[in-house]
Amino acid sequence: MTELVQNIADGLGRGSIYALLALGVAVVFGVMHLLNFAHGELITVSGYAAYWAFITGWSWYLIAPLVVVVAIATSIAIEQVAFRWVRNAPDFTLLLTSFGVHFLIEAAFFMYVSAAVRSFDRPDWITKTFDVGGINFEVFDVVVIAVTLVTLGLTTLLLQRTMFGLSLRAAAEDFDTARLMGVRSDRVIRGAFALSGALAGIAAIFWLMRAGQTTPGAGLTPMLKGVLAALIGGLGSLRGAVMGGFALGLAEVLLRSRLPDSIAGLTDGVVFALIALLFIFRPQGFVTVAHAERV
Amino acid sequence: MFPDRRRDLLFPTAGSVGLFAVLVGGALIYAAVLGGSAERLITAMFIDAIMVIGIQIYIGNTGVLSFGHIGFGAVAGYVFAIFAIDPERKARWIADAPAGLDQVQVSPIVATLIAVAVTLVVAVVVGIGLARSGAKSGAVAATVITLALLFVTHEVAINWTQLTGGNRAPLSFGIGDTLDSMLPILAVLLVAIVAARLFAQSRAGRLAKAAREDNLAARAMGVDPQVQQMAALLLSVAVVAVAASLRVYEIGNITPRFFFFEYTLLTLVMLIVGGRNSVTGAVVGVVVITAARELTRRLATEGYELFGLSLDAAAVDWIFREGLPTIGLGLAMLGFMIFRPNGLMNDWELDEWLARRWLRPQEPGRPTLGPIADGAAHSRARLEADGLTVDFGGFRALGSAGIVANVGEIVGLIGPNGAGKTTLVNVLTGIVAPTAGRVLVDSDDLTGEPSHEIARRGLVRTFQNLRLFSALSVRDNVEAAYLIAEAHRDGRSRPSIDELIAVAGLWDHRHRRADELDYGNSRRLELARAAAAAPTFLLLDEPTSGMSDAESLAMVEQVRTMAETIGAGVVVIDHDLNFITGICDRIYCLDRGAVIASGTPDEIHADPTVQAAYLGTAAPA
Repeated sequence: MTELVQNIADGLGRGSIYALLALGVAVVFGVMHLLNFAHGELITVSGYAAYWAFITGWSWYLIAPLVVVVAIATSIAIEQVAFRWVRNAPDFTLLLTSFGVHFLIEAAFFMYVSAAVRSFDRPDWITKTFDVGGINFEVFDVVVIAVTLVTLGLTTLLLQRTMFGLSLRAAAEDFDTARLMGVRSDRVIRGAFALSGALAGIAAIFWLMRAGQTTPGAGLTPMLKGVLAALIGGLGSLRGAVMGGFALGLAEVLLRSRLPDSIAGLTDGVVFALIALLFIFRPQGFVTVAHAERV
Repeated sequence: MFPDRRRDLLFPTAGSVGLFAVLVGGALIYAAVLGGSAERLITAMFIDAIMVIGIQIYIGNTGVLSFGHIGFGAVAGYVFAIFAIDPERKARWIADAPAGLDQVQVSPIVATLIAVAVTLVVAVVVGIGLARSGAKSGAVAATVITLALLFVTHEVAINWTQLTGGNRAPLSFGIGDTLDSMLPILAVLLVAIVAARLFAQSRAGRLAKAAREDNLAARAMGVDPQVQQMAALLLSVAVVAVAASLRVYEIGNITPRFFFFEYTLLTLVMLIVGGRNSVTGAVVGVVVITAARELTRRLATEGYELFGLSLDAAAVDWIFREGLPTIGLGLAMLGFMIFRPNGLMNDWELDEWLARRWLRPQEPGRPTLGPIADGAAHSRARLEADGLTVDFGGFRALGSAGIVANVGEIVGLIGPNGAGKTTLVNVLTGIVAPTAGRVLVDSDDLTGEPSHEIARRGLVRTFQNLRLFSALSVRDNVEAAYLIAEAHRDGRSRPSIDELIAVAGLWDHRHRRADELDYGNSRRLELARAAAAAPTFLLLDEPTSGMSDAESLAMVEQVRTMAETIGAGVVVIDHDLNFITGICDRIYCLDRGAVIASGTPDEIHADPTVQAAYLGTAAPA
């Protein structure tokens, strides 16, 4: 029982990061039907920014906002440089474009920075635990969950209560009609990328704190988790993306603690296989989004 | 299997041999001139070519983007290595492999066959997942599933060390045990090219391409895309599995990163640059990318003498670094996606070019229509829709609507915008599931059947917003539907493809791509394509929308002739009252999801409730 509670806390902590990543993927998917395989690169770029700040002597309290700012700027820059040229292209083109961007950024770091691992110190509170009723909780998990909940709350407010949120939701519903109603496509797409970048930035803070390092290929795993979580949730649904993130985190932790040691390394493989099964039985994900085709 | 033996069997085979000859001839001359290292280069290029052709069979014919084919390659590569490497060497890396696999050794050919078999089993499972996720051109969920497959195989390769040796111990052949002849590679390459071309021309390939162009329209013609996608996947994976086995055998070992992201990127860029919809394109892409990589490699290692200009090494140092190939591939992918998404060759094929020059001049002239098909034999068929109700959330689009139509009759559906006309046709053809009600053709209950099944049983529609198979020729559009009729509408005598095209007035345009047609001709093609599916009832959704008055009048004649030619009943939706009253025997008027009046055109004209619905005056009590 205590192990289960610990697992759940751990899973929610991990899932929080996935939820933030998945939400970012879903926001962009909503406005331009682009599945952003370059989403993980936001973590790579902020990772190098964090490394630079670290060797310059910044503390984590300064590095954290820097990471978010860099992620937002990178997200907008990627949209301006690459994605705006394929805005109305078929889905096939969009998929491969973002795949190409993923490789370009990775290769650029490889060529012009270094293939080597860049390490930095993790904050000292990250490994601390505290005890409630005989159950050990990691401080880190609690902080991650709390910050994620606050972020999700703020995002909800932004989407529900502001003009920008309204136009974003309208664009996600029907982009062409939204434009006719006076939503400015440029602004709403840039806004979506900024929001997606901000969410990735907050995820990046925790991802980097836990990893304590970055490499040119560091974006791959977070990208995959974010994309998968968004897909589990039902692509296009923001609520589903968040649920998908938490579900993925919980599934990973619960599996890892229960699989026999000899194949514990296969956790990701088993999780992917489970996701494939989920699709066979519920192809549309947790939350069904009506993509009615007009005939 | 092959609709036209000369066009679909003879020419593609000959063209593929030609393509093979050009590729291999060119490469061998290059190797002969440069000697030594060039041989390794072209061997690798041939294997890449087999791999890319394998991937093309799936992506090209279905339009589904797959990142997972190299994952299939990983499965095949490991199975091949585990079965083909001698036990003595295996004992070093995977001494305690499960199921005594460390003791097994078979010949490379048998090992390849085992690899293909195992990989096909995986492909069936993945294929079911893809089908369930709604795989179609550009489908995002399907692509993510293939990406997950790539990661699963990689994870397994790294972590299941008892079987694969993982990262630290590459499974390797003994020195001298590896492939030392180019012949097997060339043989497989030839077979792969021929197989890819024949599949594209086959019935399955033609239907897959129709579904690639428009999944919904293909289903409405009676195509079940999942079947063709599975066929394409299995053939494609078999080719990839052989290529992977050859690659492992040629290199002499396998590690997890052999079949992962880098190789996925390389093969996909080759396919995209050449043109994913063409086998020739796949080959061209392989050659272009191989040449570009070789050129940069030589520039980087042997200095910067380019066309007699010698460049300052320091000045270009920032370009020629490790990692350049990846940047180059990424840029190529981005550039082609933005500026030329269909690649260098688009859908050009050597054999089609040859066929245009040789077969076309021999084509028979415009057919004159013989005696009308056995329309009379079907004249008793009756379409009965009863109590159809559709709720979209809280909105009732149809409330207990019903119509009756007989073969030999043309029945009109009119009503103001939003009356539920298109929804009614959508329900009849299985695109929207009704909340309640029944659809019968004679005693055949079609309610709740999937679209393609309904089309095969005799209800075929056209689309208000034009859903042609854009990249296919006019004739190929009609042929796709015709192939379905051939298999599923057997009892009916059918006019030939050419006759249908002639009746629709598209004879002079038959070789043009559907997306090159003007509006009126596109509408006529919609009609011809639906008629080719040999329906008992033809459902036309606004066939004159966007047409001029003269064109509408011509369309009246065309619809009539077409209906008589194929012996079908017609249900037609239109706003154009001249058209409707000019063509229909009976008319139903819908308003707010219910039938408010029915009768002959004259009765409908005189009906006060119809006038109220159209003009908005209060209906008399």
